[in-house]
Amino acid sequence: MSTDYSIEAPSIHGRLSLAEIEELVAQPLDTKPDKKFFIAITLSTGALLIGAFCLTITFLYGIGMWGNNQPVGWGFGITNFVFWVGIGHAGTLISAILFLLRQRWRTGIARFSEAMTIFAVMCAGIFPVIHTGRPWLAGYLLPYPNQHGLWINFTSPIIWDVFAVSVYLSVSLIFWYTGLIPDFAILRDRTTSKIKKTIYSIFSLGWRHSNRHWQHYEKAYVILAGFATPLVLSVHTIVSFDFAVSILPGWHTTIFPPYFVAGAIFSGFAMVVTVLVIVRKIFDLQNIITMDHLEKMNKVILATGMMVGYAYATEFFIAWYSGVQFEQFVFINRVFGPYAWAYWIMVSCNVIIPQLFWVKKIRRSIPIMMVIVILVNVGMWFERFVIVVTSLHRDFLPSSWGMFIPTVYDLGILLGSFGLFFTLVILFTKTLPVVSISEVKAIAEGSQPTHHGGNHHG
Amino acid sequence: MQLKGINQERRMAEDQNILNNPDPNYWQSFEEFYKSPDFLKTHEDEFKEGVTENFDSSGMSSFSRRKFLALLGASAALAGTACSDYRDKGEIIPYNKMPEEITPGKANYYASTCTCCADACGLLIKTREGRPIKLDGNPDHPVTKGKICAQGHASIMNLYDPDRLKNPKKKNEGRFFEYNWKSANDEIIVDLMNIGDKEIAIVTHKIISPTTKKILDEFVSKYPTSKIYSYEVFDNSARNSAWKKCYPANEANGAGEFPAIKWNDAKIILSLDGDFLGESHNLVENARLFAEGRDVVNKKFNRLYVVEGNLTITGMNADYRMRLRSDLHLNFLLSLIDALNKKGANIPISSGGLTLEKFANENKLDKQELASLVSDLWRNRGKSIVYAGSHLPEDVHIAVNLLNHSLGNNILYNSDSVPVSMIPLSSTSDFEKLISSMNSGKVAVAIHINSNPVYHLSHDLGYSEALKKVKNVISLVELENETSELSNYVLPINNQLESWGDAKTRTGFYSLQQPVISPLYDSRQTENIFLTWISGNSASYSESSYHQYLMNNWEKNIYSSLNSRLEFKRFWYNSLHDGVVYSNDKISLPDSFNFESSDHIRPAPISKNFTLQIKESYALGDGRFANNGWLQELPHPVTKIVWDNCASISPTTANELGLKSNDLVEISNGKNSLKIPVFIQPGSSDNFITIESGYGRRNGVTVGTVIGFDATDLLKTSGGLSPWLYTDVQLKKVEGEYKLVTAQTVYAFNEGLTADLPNKRGIIREGTVEQYLKNPDFYRTDKKHEPESVNPDITYTGLKWGMSIDMNKCLGCSECVIACNVENNIPVVGKEQTDKGREMHWIRIDRYYSGTPEDPKVSNQVMVCQHCDHAPCENVCPVVATTHSSEGLNQMVYNRCVGTRYCSNNCPYKVRRFNYFNFRDHFKDSYQESPVFALLHNPEVTVRSRGVMEKCTFCIQRISEARSDATREKRDLKGSDVKTACQEACITNAIQFGDINNKDEEFYSYRNNELGYYVLEELNVRPNVTYIARLRNTSTEKA
Repeated sequence: MSTDYSIEAPSIHGRLSLAEIEELVAQPLDTKPDKKFFIAITLSTGALLIGAFCLTITFLYGIGMWGNNQPVGWGFGITNFVFWVGIGHAGTLISAILFLLRQRWRTGIARFSEAMTIFAVMCAGIFPVIHTGRPWLAGYLLPYPNQHGLWINFTSPIIWDVFAVSVYLSVSLIFWYTGLIPDFAILRDRTTSKIKKTIYSIFSLGWRHSNRHWQHYEKAYVILAGFATPLVLSVHTIVSFDFAVSILPGWHTTIFPPYFVAGAIFSGFAMVVTVLVIVRKIFDLQNIITMDHLEKMNKVILATGMMVGYAYATEFFIAWYSGVQFEQFVFINRVFGPYAWAYWIMVSCNVIIPQLFWVKKIRRSIPIMMVIVILVNVGMWFERFVIVVTSLHRDFLPSSWGMFIPTVYDLGILLGSFGLFFTLVILFTKTLPVVSISEVKAIAEGSQPTHHGGNHHG
Repeated sequence: MQLKGINQERRMAEDQNILNNPDPNYWQSFEEFYKSPDFLKTHEDEFKEGVTENFDSSGMSSFSRRKFLALLGASAALAGTACSDYRDKGEIIPYNKMPEEITPGKANYYASTCTCCADACGLLIKTREGRPIKLDGNPDHPVTKGKICAQGHASIMNLYDPDRLKNPKKKNEGRFFEYNWKSANDEIIVDLMNIGDKEIAIVTHKIISPTTKKILDEFVSKYPTSKIYSYEVFDNSARNSAWKKCYPANEANGAGEFPAIKWNDAKIILSLDGDFLGESHNLVENARLFAEGRDVVNKKFNRLYVVEGNLTITGMNADYRMRLRSDLHLNFLLSLIDALNKKGANIPISSGGLTLEKFANENKLDKQELASLVSDLWRNRGKSIVYAGSHLPEDVHIAVNLLNHSLGNNILYNSDSVPVSMIPLSSTSDFEKLISSMNSGKVAVAIHINSNPVYHLSHDLGYSEALKKVKNVISLVELENETSELSNYVLPINNQLESWGDAKTRTGFYSLQQPVISPLYDSRQTENIFLTWISGNSASYSESSYHQYLMNNWEKNIYSSLNSRLEFKRFWYNSLHDGVVYSNDKISLPDSFNFESSDHIRPAPISKNFTLQIKESYALGDGRFANNGWLQELPHPVTKIVWDNCASISPTTANELGLKSNDLVEISNGKNSLKIPVFIQPGSSDNFITIESGYGRRNGVTVGTVIGFDATDLLKTSGGLSPWLYTDVQLKKVEGEYKLVTAQTVYAFNEGLTADLPNKRGIIREGTVEQYLKNPDFYRTDKKHEPESVNPDITYTGLKWGMSIDMNKCLGCSECVIACNVENNIPVVGKEQTDKGREMHWIRIDRYYSGTPEDPKVSNQVMVCQHCDHAPCENVCPVVATTHSSEGLNQMVYNRCVGTRYCSNNCPYKVRRFNYFNFRDHFKDSYQESPVFALLHNPEVTVRSRGVMEKCTFCIQRISEARSDATREKRDLKGSDVKTACQEACITNAIQFGDINNKDEEFYSYRNNELGYYVLEELNVRPNVTYIARLRNTSTEKA
């Protein structure tokens, strides 16, 4: 079969008319939630409540409810933080970087992945606060002028984190909202409910689809995309500094920034695929979020997975090549020590299993893809666990070595963070258009100006 | 018309106004200006109608002014208090009249004597605002010289123990009721008076006070059927009886006890299972004198050979350590004597055909080491000492005495200060007799003076059963215990810090005990209770009775013998101030040896089964400290186990039996048995079990109850080689496991990766004396390499604090840990939290093994915050809660700490401690938050709350105090002005502290010692703690 690469394959299947697109996307917002929705939201808020309970107990008694100890000062808290920040990377990558690279296929999935970014960063943002011994004093981490003349320590990577994550969250939020404005206007025009109309009117900021609006909008969007792009790289770079700046063997590594960014994109894409597969099925969006989309995402997963694998290998090489006894020990301890199981889960889920994506059939098979991406999520969580815990538990002085054993509260809070994430995702699907209506319309077949003047109007 | 009239009126008024009030005339309204009649009328009375004239209060609101003010005040107070959530709701009561001697914020120190055990060490008690907060050694004490043991340090907690008995109690129908002193004394006196020919049994620990002895004597003369039984679970009975047999002339002189040894004069020390650096007998002096012989500064090194059954503190410090089951020591000794005789020693004892070579072959001892031992002993006659463990049978001690005598080593016995005893300790047969009289109803009253025979005595004796036949059982205790449970009267007695007293343990001096605080509860001093009973009248009691009695006794009996030039009052106050009184009593040690004493000694038969040793616990002693959380949580110096005892067995034995640590086993000693977990102890000899006693208290009150396993269950009254050593013991694996918690994870030996890590990582640096003398820099295998720094170095020109730790002197005894706990308000966290790795100790002793698990070498390392110049903890703290001072201290700002724990992660020494809970609240139902416990805290050190990081501060409170003293005295602060708590506690002076920059101070020589190194030097964090590498004094022939 020969493919004509000079013609871009259509990103939307099924030759949908513009009205059909609009109808398809806006439909969940117009209908009452069904039974499936309630089951889903019950499950996710249930998990959220378990997390909230565990967190309350932690607040009442102290971090001692968790498994943390000396020498393992950080356990699930920081693991979860890095994990969720990582998940948050796919959104901005898809919406900003792919936008700048003119990857038109991104439109079908951009909105959703951006929303996931925001929710994931929200989940992540909770952990640095709750993992502190005295969370009620977390305000000390902000540089505010005070009569004590106290200032924060700009050499501490945790402070960099505070800025990086909060900037990332705000930029992502603005970017997401900007993209939503035309859709709010469409929804405003569609709805008959008074309340909805008021809400949509407020959020659409008086959008009238005028030429001028579009002109400004496109400019703003490009600028924001340009602004968000470096953040994709910077946030996880800075998160990795939490480790790389320390002197702990297994943390103190210059490879961490690129390695973390690759890992973040890897896990973020895996999470987006996990959720999209379900969403496109439930909301019947197979024509907008097509198999081509999923396949492309799987290719990204394959590529970033190999980058991560390469990073793993490099770490070992450097540990050996450096001749530093501490480094060598840490890495051999990872592979053969008491947490070897975690290491091997990480390697098999992140490096070995994604190799299946070399096969086109697997890339395009929903069930297999689903299993693989979930495993990638598991593997990436364990990657952070391995970095945090195995480096700490056997550090410099053998006399201080110990073990980290998570408690039910650790597990409950991890579950709760998933509960929060999915609760937000589920609410999102019923309140906002999960696909950008206006952007998809723009790439629908026949919507572009042609020589034959076949331009439709929506 | 009307208008006109008004105008007219106005004009008139204007005129009048001007007339009456010439310029300037101030007016406030037109009414005033025009003097309208209404206005004038209203202004006629300054006050409203009914207010001043014709005042009728009934017309007023029922709110009186007084009530209004009261309500106003009340509501303001209510608003004030309701809105204030102060964490500290305690009252602050200022001194109404300033007591003499007390300056708020300034500590007072009093000399006293520790009566925790029979050693009677000199105490220096630090009090603040009238409450004792820390115990240290009295530097004027001639034996202990300013040092006390770990129990002594921790015993301050016993004073404030919330479990202390607060009132007398009486048992009625099986239950205890609170009672009062008067009725209790009345009833007891009636019982004592009507005793008839029945016996009054007084059971006590060793009596060390001459005045107490006198009171007991008076009691006996008042109630002639009284008998005194004194015991110590771990007495020196075998050693002392051997001594009496070897030197029978002694007894005539009054010295029936084995003398102290001048360890500092010994070049060669051979210890046969003798843990003289760990066991409580005379520990402080032994350790100090021993360490004097390990002086790298003056290049003076003794050589310690240890032959022992299980690894002990002494064994950890040995230059040569050989493991040998305790029941084989007699044979070893005979073989050794044989070898020495071959050299020409001519020691008159038959070896029974044993030769050293044969013995070494049979027991896999290193022949080269033995050869060097024999030649060392032979060459250093008169400069060596052989010492046997107190649990070894009498024959071993006789042979040891003979060996020492024959080699002329008896000149190392300290003849200046000979142990004396007030009342000889009772023997097992004395107790057997007591119990049979109890059983036959011949004992009507039994009085226990702070003793716990139900727990301590072998169950074979049946003491608790016999006690039921005694009509009136009285226990005088601080804390309830197993014996008080079976008593009719439980009378609370004073803590040692609330008591008067004196002590006489050695010739040459007396020591005095004085109270530093009034009794916290309705308790009385033991001697005072006896005085009441002697008087026969409960009303005769007064709190000062014993004080008076003590002074009278001193004036009459002791003062008179001292030929003091001072009048008694002044003498007495001087003596109390000093805590010790020198006397000129002397007992000479005779040198005529009774050679017949050793004639009966024959080689011992070799037992095929297990040998069992019951050993005194390093932390809890004989169990009397079971309720002391600090001691329970003190990692065992050898095993590092906390909150438990265990049966230690060797790795080989464990392999043979398929046992691993934590497996439960049943140990049977005859018909007595005990279920206990095993612990695989490197360096233990095969088929040998060691169990520490002091644990498994059935009634150890809140903290100590059922912690560990009761080794008393295994004690037999006969059939053992000694009361603490049994052969033919069975060991059987039983179902189940029991988790033993170690503060330091068991460190694996030579297993691939972890092999030799302490050395490879530059944590432990060691060598031999010979290597050192040849090349002082021998251990610096790698060239010192200092990487360039991007930042300019901070230079410290003034004072800069530093510490040095001499690993040659550090015995690993853990005294420093307890002293630090007391000084710095370290909470007890409990076994479960220690298991999770959340112990809070600021100072710890890391123990590393090297060599084989069967015959390990041990290296101990004190680890505290290293106060690095390039502290990795500081740059990662987001809120600058840990900072560096201009004097090189790494500081913690608790108030600023948010608790990210990043600093702890980044600390290569892992010395930072995080408050994962409010541990005081978390442990044992807030046991440590009871109000009385707060009195224990050092007011100069913050009590840290949950969620805060903490660590060693180099006792910054002491630095601040010294600085304010220096400022007041208008001089510069010097490094030597400050002593840290650990330094002060260290018996061997292994810890030194001072100013790194001051070349004139003694500390400079330690800091810059040739053997000094930093732990993890290659990280370039530049620690301010110098470790002085340990040298093992192995013999030249071998090295």
